Amino acid sequence: MATTRREFLKVAGGAAAAGAVGFPAVARGQARPGVPSDPVKIGIIAIRAGIAAPVGTAGLRGTEWWAERVNKSGGILGRQVQLIVEEESNPKDTVERYRKLILQDKVEVVIGGISTGVTLALGPVAEEMDTPWLSWDGTTQKGVEETMPNPKWAFKSVDNEVEAIVAGTLTPKYFKGVQTIAGINNDYSYGHDCWETYQAVLKKMGMNVKPVLELFPKLGVTDFTSHIAAIQQAKPDLLMTSFWSGDATILMKQAAAVGLFKNMKGVFTTAGGVHDSLKKEFTPEGLLLGYNTMYFDDPKGSPLLKQFVREYKAKYNEYPAYESDHAYFNIESYKVAVEKAYAQTKQWPTKAQVVKALEGVEAESLSGTRSWRPDHIQMCNFYQGLTTHKNNYDFVTINPIEVVSTKTAMKPAGSKLLDWINGWKV
Amino acid sequence: MTANLVNILMGGVFHAAILFLVAAGLQVVFGVQKIFNLACGSFYALGAYTGVSAVGYFTAHGGPPALFIIPLALGGLAVGLVGVVVERGLLRFVYDRDETFQLLLTFALVLMLEDLIRMTWGTAPVSTGGLYLNYGQARILGATVPVYNLIVIAASLAIALGIGWLLSRTVFGRIIRAAADNREMAEALGVDMRWVYVRVFTLGTMLGTLGGALVIPATAAMSEMGIELIVEAFAVVVIGGLGSMRGAFVGALVVGVLRSVAISVYPELEMLLIYLIVIAVLIWRPRGLFGTAAA
Repeated sequence: MATTRREFLKVAGGAAAAGAVGFPAVARGQARPGVPSDPVKIGIIAIRAGIAAPVGTAGLRGTEWWAERVNKSGGILGRQVQLIVEEESNPKDTVERYRKLILQDKVEVVIGGISTGVTLALGPVAEEMDTPWLSWDGTTQKGVEETMPNPKWAFKSVDNEVEAIVAGTLTPKYFKGVQTIAGINNDYSYGHDCWETYQAVLKKMGMNVKPVLELFPKLGVTDFTSHIAAIQQAKPDLLMTSFWSGDATILMKQAAAVGLFKNMKGVFTTAGGVHDSLKKEFTPEGLLLGYNTMYFDDPKGSPLLKQFVREYKAKYNEYPAYESDHAYFNIESYKVAVEKAYAQTKQWPTKAQVVKALEGVEAESLSGTRSWRPDHIQMCNFYQGLTTHKNNYDFVTINPIEVVSTKTAMKPAGSKLLDWINGWKV
Repeated sequence: MTANLVNILMGGVFHAAILFLVAAGLQVVFGVQKIFNLACGSFYALGAYTGVSAVGYFTAHGGPPALFIIPLALGGLAVGLVGVVVERGLLRFVYDRDETFQLLLTFALVLMLEDLIRMTWGTAPVSTGGLYLNYGQARILGATVPVYNLIVIAASLAIALGIGWLLSRTVFGRIIRAAADNREMAEALGVDMRWVYVRVFTLGTMLGTLGGALVIPATAAMSEMGIELIVEAFAVVVIGGLGSMRGAFVGALVVGVLRSVAISVYPELEMLLIYLIVIAVLIWRPRGLFGTAAA
């Protein structure tokens, strides 16, 4: 079945390339001296099955939107862009497809990867293959510290725990009197790390809270009725969760059905993947909600963001998820790096030159300027705030919007996450 | 204290109600056709997605939201007819083959249905929005219980009684029991087994799809949702006994309530506790609580 899908994508990729040839000459741009005339091949690893499928699809759509615009405006230094998409599944198969992209398809760069398990497996392979790899996501701290300490070719997403750190710093501001907390987080590294980090930050912020319950349901659970009964029994002042997929919606709905948040504060660190499914009917006002990276309804949003959201909604009849933003920045930063390297050498850069150019580069994302830290970590903004029903949608948005930069909410290069938090001078 | 107990029990019974429908589908197919249908979880997911679409169509065309349960149940039942297609189109070719082929085929169905769902409904979770809250809440001994959960529990109980009546009081039930006990003898007595198989498999499929449709207002549909439930359904089958409807009922209650109690008392034990019971039953009564030698 996987083979069939790959074959289909190959054909689809070929069709896309054929389509590119059909662009009017004016739109295709002229190749610069020292730049090959054939399309530049970019490998994409996208997850489109299972629980991460919504964000994987959003990442792919963000990338395709970028490619369409770039090709219309002349490509990269006059070279048309050709995306070759491979499926992200389990670590072993994804590694094979990753190698195939480089060895067989001869891509210049590989972009994508969401699941931590997969990205941790891709990290060492990227170092072997001498090809830049820009990960969309999937970089929980413990794994990164253990397997990708000093990458040469890999460029990693922002630390996932930032969401929990931001929520931890905002909790004392909005929920001062909280004394007992409970956590419900998924039973994998992201869930455990977020819960641990959130508690560490609260402690550092001077909140003397007592954890009364911690639940770690398996990924993909669709019935939290019993978990909610356990939370009711524990009666915490505040419930924290890092759910980010359909499970966030389900938890919110089943909690509303028993009035859980009538006497309880709620902290949902990330709803970036399913924000438009958090309907007003069952999502109360006053919960601390994170939008991960891109906040589509930000009145201060860039024209690029507004155009993207408008066209995305028109095409897919849904709103984009945060991964569109990660993906857009990743591929845009590759373009900027290639152009930066070309400006120096007047030749299409080698892969190693691209990597050098990427270090410290700034590029536009949908939610403003982002950059790659010299140690290959993405720097961006996070958006959190209290849920509100005062908007024109049938789902909640947040107001006020607290914008927190990873420059302040992410541990510095080389330090250990919890050591860094414990060293804060608050 | 009482309220907490009610919350825990109601959580467990609600889960059991859904689990029963899927496990019953698994049981009826195994009991008669001797096929262990791995795809029953996928039928559950298919029912869930169809339920969302049916409710969406109903409300978009001016149907009163209070009556959403009607299109929901009808949608769930209607998509159960996919059982006819699967039985006639695929399963009938492997009845005489080794059991391994049957397992492979039903597993292939899991993969195919998952892709079919993604092609039809996309990758993002879909739900019926806030309709779940339409029926309000009931106070039971100080606990707040969603009325919709009570409706699902009642529906599942009614279906269990209905199946009991079907199997014990109707001609079709007698034929099913005869076919389950001794297929050759039933055929010798003039029972058209093709007729029995297509109906039994469709009944099994409908139980699964209806389970998916009934659960969906309380949750959101995700393409892999069947996998989560099928593992628990297997535990139900082992505890209750392969092929036994009474076993499906009792097994679902045991798994549902134990899971709920474990989550409240010692959450780490949630799955472990269920499998400890499975192991205990396998040692103490290898055929399950209600399993028979023939099954």
